[in-house]
Amino acid sequence: MNPRWAEWIRHAEDPARVSEMPEALDDLLVLDCSVGHYGGHVLSGFLGELGAEVIKLEPPGGDPARRWGPPDATVHGEGLAFLAEGRNRHYATLDLTQPEGQGLLRQLAARADVLVEGFPPGQQDAWGIGFRHLQPLNPRLIYVALSTHGQFGPRAARGGPEYDLIDQALSGLAFLTGEPTDATDATDDGHDRPEAVPTRVGSWISAYAQAAWAGVATLGALHWREQSGQGQMIDVSGAEALMRYLEYTLLLYHAAGEVRQRLGVMDGAVSVYTFVPVKDGWAFIAGYTDANFGAICRIMGRPELTRDSRFRTTLDRTQPENRAALRDEVAKWSVNYTASEILAKVLADPGPGVVVFGPVNGPSQTLAEGHWWERGCFGRVSDPVYGLLTLAMPAWRMTRTPPRLKTPGRPAGYHNADVYARYFGFGPDRLADLRSRGII
Amino acid sequence: MGESYFDWAARLFDPSLLHGKPEALQGIRVLDLSVIIFGPATADFLGELGAQVIKVEMPGGGDVTRILGHAGCFWKNVSVAFFPQNHSKYHIGVDMHHADGQALIRKLAARSDIVIENFKPGTTEAKWGLGYRQLREVNPRLIYVANTGFGQWGPLAEGRASYDGLAQAVSGLTAISGFEGALPTKVGNYLGDWFGACLAAMGTLAALRWRDRTGEGQFVEMAQCEGLVRALDWTWLYAGLTGRDRPKTGNRDPVFVPSGIFRCRDGYVAVVAGTDGEFQGLTTALGQPALAEDPRFRMAAARRERAHADALDALIGAWCRGRSREEVQVAARTHGFAAAPVMSGRDQYEDAHLRARRSVWESDDALYGRIVDYGPAPKLSATPARHKWVGRPVGWHNAHVLKGILGLTGAEIADLERRGVVGRWGDQRGAKPPDDWQGTGAPEL
Repeated sequence: MNPRWAEWIRHAEDPARVSEMPEALDDLLVLDCSVGHYGGHVLSGFLGELGAEVIKLEPPGGDPARRWGPPDATVHGEGLAFLAEGRNRHYATLDLTQPEGQGLLRQLAARADVLVEGFPPGQQDAWGIGFRHLQPLNPRLIYVALSTHGQFGPRAARGGPEYDLIDQALSGLAFLTGEPTDATDATDDGHDRPEAVPTRVGSWISAYAQAAWAGVATLGALHWREQSGQGQMIDVSGAEALMRYLEYTLLLYHAAGEVRQRLGVMDGAVSVYTFVPVKDGWAFIAGYTDANFGAICRIMGRPELTRDSRFRTTLDRTQPENRAALRDEVAKWSVNYTASEILAKVLADPGPGVVVFGPVNGPSQTLAEGHWWERGCFGRVSDPVYGLLTLAMPAWRMTRTPPRLKTPGRPAGYHNADVYARYFGFGPDRLADLRSRGII
Repeated sequence: MGESYFDWAARLFDPSLLHGKPEALQGIRVLDLSVIIFGPATADFLGELGAQVIKVEMPGGGDVTRILGHAGCFWKNVSVAFFPQNHSKYHIGVDMHHADGQALIRKLAARSDIVIENFKPGTTEAKWGLGYRQLREVNPRLIYVANTGFGQWGPLAEGRASYDGLAQAVSGLTAISGFEGALPTKVGNYLGDWFGACLAAMGTLAALRWRDRTGEGQFVEMAQCEGLVRALDWTWLYAGLTGRDRPKTGNRDPVFVPSGIFRCRDGYVAVVAGTDGEFQGLTTALGQPALAEDPRFRMAAARRERAHADALDALIGAWCRGRSREEVQVAARTHGFAAAPVMSGRDQYEDAHLRARRSVWESDDALYGRIVDYGPAPKLSATPARHKWVGRPVGWHNAHVLKGILGLTGAEIADLERRGVVGRWGDQRGAKPPDDWQGTGAPEL
């Protein structure tokens, strides 16, 4: 007897069994040299989740990123942004600005598989520990350099402080997001509607995109290294990482000379596909094929809308005037019900057609949804140093080498004794000497 | 080292040399059964690194994205929305509902390293006999990748359909974005699809690493919602510690203040002055260096107070309004804070830096002619990512794949075509070649 697929895969991916399973990257040593760089911080966590041994090397005074987070909550004085992604690594200090520190890095890099850095382009090279210095010591090294503009090209040498907001702006995503201005806006700067501007995604999404792309490239490079023995350098711009997700934005300009604009809650390709008010907040609703749109009309008790000349075909429904009118029809219905009430109607509908529907959840509502905890998507970690922490768990589900969270993070230099003993044979006297001279 | 860093890096990554360099995933074959964006983009990213991607579509119309896209913008008979996640693929038209079609897919899976699908959980197994449990029988080394909205199991995965917009909503992303009191912020692209595809590609390559080490394949899945949940940085820590939802902060970065997006004469800029030094530079640029000593602004903690941050935004806004985006950026570079234009598609199209890096990738395609699209994001020095061609009509590579890979004879293919198991484009927009196609160029063997 074959169990149903859902039962089989649930068992194969059982979050409770993850720690029994092997790890895809557990033969790799990763040096996290990122300082004040969130993309590097996240990438190092991704690789650690998949099993790599990651050693973070930060200045003896600590990574400035440890102070990053909301002003009204810290843990042990640490910023929540840093702690959210500080997982699965050993924490050592090392001053890369001093020749002795650079010498120690050289020795570590000689045996590492991957090095991650996010310094201003050229900085680590100026210290004599860039890729062109390290590659001769370790031809198998994969050196990952993360920055806003990249390591080459007319803007590469620009320097200057880097931030997620800057990368979101350069990526083009902000231009496409947010409420459009309209005829009722009295002034261009939207004094009446401050939201009628290009709008940022609320999290540091460019850093996650950068980390994901760098992860893809690093693992691709590792596969190549298996075939060739050859390491290489990888250059990922945070702005370009997010830009690659922008769909047909460039091609629209090339093909039609049209500059893609922000559309607020409307969608450029399909309708119904939007946010609508509900009695207890907001919700997302979609049904854009004829069958699925018909299902929405049926659930609303408005079957005649499918015969309305403005809404008859997929193409009709996407025309700007029609999609706005269509949203109004749905919104004037949805506002009378709670999200739960509408979801019940959607799930009870026999078809034909399927309506996609769900509430706009605040984070607390998402956390209250049992599904994510069952899936192992969230974890409540009791950490000996930081206490009780609610964390996003690794995102991949894999049946043979599932990722896992081991430790959420540690203070700067927490593992100095262990790391320097294991990799250099240094004992307490040597460490004290290094510390006294600010090397660690 | 005599050569400057940037001269050296330009040589190391020189895009004009890329086609002479090897590909990281050469020899890896991906069988892409998926549709729309989430699955096809995952396959596309692997193809950029050199995997051979075979895209399976229904004969006739093919992938629905061929006709869905920017409110009816078709270019050379295809929706512009089809191209960005379908580069360098081998397009075959196979009806997977047909037993003989399933047999073909099974044969291809036996000869592939990776299979990608994004159908509702259990569909490929129950409807087509092409699920992981079946395909690993013909290929124990197979890496099978399944992308969905809510995942393969769990209360929300049972019978709940999902799109990117729903993932944005239920994940919490929508709630923490945008401006208080406004309509919800719908991210301007299908972020759940694209970011999810990028994570899926990373998971796939982790599985490939395990296979390189041990010979073992496995099943890998990505849920769109879970990808977005993973990308909300300190949201969950904050809720767990305070019992509160993090607030929307509009265009102000919640950690670095002052920051925001401001109107200039010729568009918008983002400005950030996140440290004391950067803030001092900003006040100099504003022509008001005394602000750096103003008790409202001298310390970072004071700058973050709502009323003070609002006051700074008003000053920065007024200063930007009379200037061009370029003037603001020059001032930022001169005085040591951060500023960048909010780039439009046109800005990117015309940008020399992006073109020099081939992040804006212009090519001369054999079928579609001159085309400009986003190039691969990561730059690899030894095995650069690349695009070789763009999307093709349905079934364009039938002969190349069925003869060249599976060794079917012409008669066998003709028979499959007669019975509708295999086919190419119908005479319909999205699926068929451009009107100026001369009838040549489809690889025949």
